Amino acid sequence: MTAFERDGAEVEALLTDLYLESVLARIGTDHGPADARLDPLLRNASDRLRRDLVRVHPSFRFEERLAARLAELAAAMRMPAAAGGEGRVVPLRGAAGAPLDDAFDPFGEDDPETERRELARPLIIGGALTSAISLAGAVYVAWRRAHPGRAASPMVRAARAVRTARLATTGRFD
Amino acid sequence: MTRPVFGRARPERTSGSPGSAVSHLDRDRALVEEARRDPARFDALYRRYLAQVYSYAFYELGDHHEAEDATERTFLAALANLGRFEERARPADGDGASTFRVWLFRIARNVVANQRRGRRRRPQAPIEAAASVADPFDVERGAAIRDEAAAAWRAVGRLPADRRRAVVLRFVEEMSTAEIAGVLGRSEGAVRVLIHRALRSVAGELRRTDRFRADGIRRDRGGDPGR
Repeated sequence: MTAFERDGAEVEALLTDLYLESVLARIGTDHGPADARLDPLLRNASDRLRRDLVRVHPSFRFEERLAARLAELAAAMRMPAAAGGEGRVVPLRGAAGAPLDDAFDPFGEDDPETERRELARPLIIGGALTSAISLAGAVYVAWRRAHPGRAASPMVRAARAVRTARLATTGRFD
Repeated sequence: MTRPVFGRARPERTSGSPGSAVSHLDRDRALVEEARRDPARFDALYRRYLAQVYSYAFYELGDHHEAEDATERTFLAALANLGRFEERARPADGDGASTFRVWLFRIARNVVANQRRGRRRRPQAPIEAAASVADPFDVERGAAIRDEAAAAWRAVGRLPADRRRAVVLRFVEEMSTAEIAGVLGRSEGAVRVLIHRALRSVAGELRRTDRFRADGIRRDRGGDPGR
């Protein structure tokens, strides 16, 4: 995309934004100067979305149930200071009473849908594999130290014999 | 419904001190302070934003039960972490500004995205939402409106995640570009471009759907020669 095209797209985006401001503020049918300059297709799509994307309300039962849960949490938050139990942890539970996902941070700055998706599982599997390999290596080294044994290879046996003989005669091994 | 005027004007730092950019204009400031003093007072904030958070979750997840779950998680997290909320309203934002709403929707965005990631089911079209705009006394017209609403929802549902979120926040929650930028962690310019591109995609999709429907109606009226 050239700089000219990019500028054009930005201007068009700005015009769309102005139009949406007027549409969402419900300023009659004449939407001002942005109206005439905007692509009719975009205008039509904006009007359709304005009309069809309505706000959906939750059930009264759900509203009251959640209000009760929040009141319960609020009471638990007030209790520590009153009772001197500052160390008390208030567990958060999901809709079905299940605890909320501890690993999930609702305040994360990254976009969880795009960034954490690729990272989470391979990172856990990779970490587990690395730990297992390290543990196995450490166990093997410890076992070898505890059980030096006799090497099966004749070459190793010959080398050890030479080393022992040299050490016995000269006291040093170069 | 009153439209928030958050961020419509450019902020100006006239006094020179960095603190002047953060002012006392957050619409929800009094409620937030009360809730901080007494968590039971959080109820007022909850009642004010319940439908908005629920609606956002419903459009994102397409399922009432999942939307309820996401809404519950959002408000529980908000109450438990209210101490972490920092007011960032600017004098130029005007009286309607609420950075609490932006903060709350950032939580909702993360909760919903986490939920979308964890589930296997595909989102369903919000039939109830479409039905709610139909005229109960005119069945034929009602059906046509329902079809159009479902088509609009489908078109939005096919958008990439960031464009879809921006459109839902703009049209359903009636947020300003500045508020959406705060929720999505983007610049205002980027949000404008996101919405513009989303509208282009939706316009193309709606045109195809309308043409398809018009062909179907013509066939029905003229009789199907293939039969």
